Amino acid sequence: MMGLWEWITDMGNSKMVALLLFMGTFIGVVIFLFANRQRARKFETYRYIPLDDDDSHREPVARRDKTKSDEQ
Amino acid sequence: MKHESVETNAGLLIILTLAVISVGGLVEIVPLFYIDDTIEEVDGVRPYTPLEQRGRDIFVREGCYTCHSQMVRPFRDEMLRYGHYSLAAESQYDHPFQWGSKRTGPDLARVGGKYSNEWQVQHLIDPQSLVPESIMPGYPWLAETPLDYSDIDRRMVALKRVGVPYSLTEEEYEANVERFGEEHARMFDIRDAEDNLVRQAQAGNFDGNPGTVTEMDAMVAYLQVLGTMVDFSEYDDGHFAEFR
Amino acid sequence: MSQAATTAGAAPAASVATSEQYNYAIIKRFAIAAVLWGVFGMAAGVWIASQLAFPFLNFDIAQITFGRFRPVHTTAVIFGFGGNALFATSYYVVQRTCQTRLWSDSMASFTFYGWNLALILGVITYMMGITQGREYAEFNWQIDIIILVVWVAYFMVFLMTLLRRNQPHIYVANWFFMAFILATALLHVFNNIQVPVGLFHPHSYSIFSGVQDAMTQWWYGHNAVGFFLTAAFLGMMYYFVPKQAGRPIYSYKLSIIHFWALVFLYMWVGAHHLHWTALPDWVSTLAATFSILLLLPSWGGMINGIMTLSGAWDKLRTDPIMLFLITALAFYGMSTFEGPMMSLKSVNALSHYTDWTVGHVHSGALGWVAMITFGSLYHLMPRLWNVNLYSLKLVYVHFFLATIGIVLYITAMWVAGIGQGLMLRAFDQYGNLAYTFTESVVFLHKPYVVRAIGGGFFLAGMLIMAFNIAMTVRSGIKAEAREAQAASTEARTA
Repeated sequence: MMGLWEWITDMGNSKMVALLLFMGTFIGVVIFLFANRQRARKFETYRYIPLDDDDSHREPVARRDKTKSDEQ
Repeated sequence: MKHESVETNAGLLIILTLAVISVGGLVEIVPLFYIDDTIEEVDGVRPYTPLEQRGRDIFVREGCYTCHSQMVRPFRDEMLRYGHYSLAAESQYDHPFQWGSKRTGPDLARVGGKYSNEWQVQHLIDPQSLVPESIMPGYPWLAETPLDYSDIDRRMVALKRVGVPYSLTEEEYEANVERFGEEHARMFDIRDAEDNLVRQAQAGNFDGNPGTVTEMDAMVAYLQVLGTMVDFSEYDDGHFAEFR
Repeated sequence: MSQAATTAGAAPAASVATSEQYNYAIIKRFAIAAVLWGVFGMAAGVWIASQLAFPFLNFDIAQITFGRFRPVHTTAVIFGFGGNALFATSYYVVQRTCQTRLWSDSMASFTFYGWNLALILGVITYMMGITQGREYAEFNWQIDIIILVVWVAYFMVFLMTLLRRNQPHIYVANWFFMAFILATALLHVFNNIQVPVGLFHPHSYSIFSGVQDAMTQWWYGHNAVGFFLTAAFLGMMYYFVPKQAGRPIYSYKLSIIHFWALVFLYMWVGAHHLHWTALPDWVSTLAATFSILLLLPSWGGMINGIMTLSGAWDKLRTDPIMLFLITALAFYGMSTFEGPMMSLKSVNALSHYTDWTVGHVHSGALGWVAMITFGSLYHLMPRLWNVNLYSLKLVYVHFFLATIGIVLYITAMWVAGIGQGLMLRAFDQYGNLAYTFTESVVFLHKPYVVRAIGGGFFLAGMLIMAFNIAMTVRSGIKAEAREAQAASTEARTA
């Protein structure tokens, strides 16, 4: 365990490890997201979640009062 | 493993997120506790005496760290202005560290001995009386408030628990004599903490008022010891560079 | 309030359903608390900024000197204004995107009282001089424990609400909120390991010292920025920007990349606060490298947010709330560019310890955090009370006051920071220091005055917002009362 710490705390080594770790994960995520077109399309459907919840009753038309901003 | 199971499973999302955020902290912080050369070996660095430690508590209490750093960086201008750059060893008994993040006022890492006690007292009471352009607040209450040292032994016990070598037993005292010399070792003995504190305050007479031990005594005693523990004339110019 | 709505038979049917479906009462409380803390915290900020410009304002009164009052400002704006706004918006977003009611009303209400109690105790104890002396973590150890308990309750409420969702996918905003909750817990625990002097003694000593303590503190300090002030507010952004625009986020795939890259990279960069100190060199180099990398996800997220408006840019002309949200993203982009630049060791040698850092923090805090919060609250408030905003014109006024304030603040701090940095490293022809420290303090006076004025502008905007929201809430309460009355007369005649 100590040997590993000594190895990783050498800047030359940890720089490479960090780079590989980061690049690997990053490329992995990107491939995952874009490689399969069907999956990519499915992901994009999630964009509509915030707009899905029904709050039509909360649009200004249905508001219960009339305040200054209506007149503007 | 599919991303789908991450996005639909809150537990998995939590575990993965925890794993990802832990990496950085582990790799950067944990080694600091194991690597020997994080802290240089250097002669002279010692724990604070009871009076100095109480001064340090007041330094923290008044939020001095919001305007003053205690960390000289290895640049020529800082060396000329403040002195030798700070070593890790010099803050090894600092709980908490007070390196600071902003210099609205000058660095204080080596302020000890630069000004007389009288100057420090007057400056703390009314900074503008000595430095008209200064924007430092006055701290007149330090000179008027008697120092509360009733809990000094409990404070030292707490510090001992976090690793400061104050002594509670004869054995620990002897070890301190060997390590820091008899004069200092006596100061680090928790059993005599109150006596030591009062004696140092009266002998030093930091605030010019030998009658009572005030917060000013403690504060000035602390300021005057900052950065003075290591005698840099004993070391070669390049000696500390290899630890950086 | 929700009872009033549910008993009001004459109220629109949808409104009755909503107040049963979602717990809005808790969100109302947090949102109002955020506004109040915002007013107090920003006033405290203007106060301490004025003390730096005119030191007589310390009045030799211990409780209000700069050193004790600065934590009051930082705590009130970060944890009071920011924290309460995050509780409000995260509880709102998680309910709306999971289409379920918040888990346990009493636990949620406990988080409200516990969190604000801790903050009020914090403010009082700082002024009494009780502090841990750790920036942004000055709460003493007893208050730390209260915060920890509240945080566990927050985590439980959020997690249990996620688990009972009626929507199979967890929307990305909730990921950001979850990462924020987890990371904050981790940071809070590890940065506050202390040995108390006694069980009833307010003081304690950090278990770490020197280098290790510094590293732990700035690991905390920077990730408080990364997860509290960035990730969580990105959660806000990913809900309120699409919602206010009425269009979905530009790219969901980009938001996933944004999330994982951000949470991974942020934890590495804390040590860039300790360049050139006694910290080992390899740590600061590593931190600087990751700070540069961090630019990528940050800008990815910014582009994702701004491009949501692609094809509907005219909204910026007609909707002042949108103006707040998009300007916030622009400032987010600016300060996430400035940050990596300042983490370069050569730049840091000049900028560190100067007001440049203060300016950078505020371009993030005022420009990004506060602006996105203002936009979100303006969106939220009318919906919580089911009324129109009292005045859109005042939102415009707020926007321009805030923007002028930020610009004054940041430019003053650039001048102050770079100016002081250059003065302190200047040498004369003989190789002696060209300026004393005091001369640099004299130079700082004018920028400090401008900074205080800029802060005053920003505070004025905040006060206008408080007024606008108070009037909005008042009309909401009145409408509720009217409906309750109408319902009871209807019941009697029937």
